Amino acid sequence: MDTVKPDIARIFAAKEARRHKLAALPFPEKVRAVVCLQQMVAPLLRARGKKVRVWTLDPQATRSIPSR
Amino acid sequence: MKRTLQILNELEGSGVGDAMGATFYVEPLLTFDLDVFVVLSANVGDLISLAPLYEALRTRGYAEEGECVLVEGVPVQFLPAYNALLEEALREATETLYEEVSTRVVRAEHLVAICLQTGRDKDRERVRIFREQAELDMNYLADVIQRHGLEGKWKQWTP
Repeated sequence: MDTVKPDIARIFAAKEARRHKLAALPFPEKVRAVVCLQQMVAPLLRARGKKVRVWTLDPQATRSIPSR
Repeated sequence: MKRTLQILNELEGSGVGDAMGATFYVEPLLTFDLDVFVVLSANVGDLISLAPLYEALRTRGYAEEGECVLVEGVPVQFLPAYNALLEEALREATETLYEEVSTRVVRAEHLVAICLQTGRDKDRERVRIFREQAELDMNYLADVIQRHGLEGKWKQWTP
């Protein structure tokens, strides 16, 4: 059976840790992250003919989300 | 979003659920609409209708857009509480603050139970994420699962 190499396992562990970090963000930060995800995905979905609307956030809520 | 929630607060017996509800407890989940469960009053034998709700929002200038109503730039999908689990989830939803605006969000344990009941592939994935990331009250969850007859699905999804 194939095993995951230590380097790859480390990458997976880091990804998992990042997801836990994201889960612990305050809700307004998460909403900003959702809108960032929408901005990334919307062009792909529109290219497939799907109608989607990226949310408009309140002006004071548009600070950038924390980076990695 | 803040203004959207303020408008939704004016609707009695509502609570944020589905992907945005889950996002309160776990990592941000991609969604394009804000799903809001609502208790609608209906006499016995009457069909539950969202029409009065849509009409109330229309008079405030919020137009329908497909299955949603666009409220302050956010497409809101209203879902009637159509069974005992959803009614209970709304009764026991918790008040949470979003930038000084108090909003009612369905408890994580109820969101898990709703996923079990809905039973789609994405619900199964969401249950996995909840178990991994959310702080679930397992005794409370066990009671909800038992009360609504979801033990079989829970066992099947959480080997």
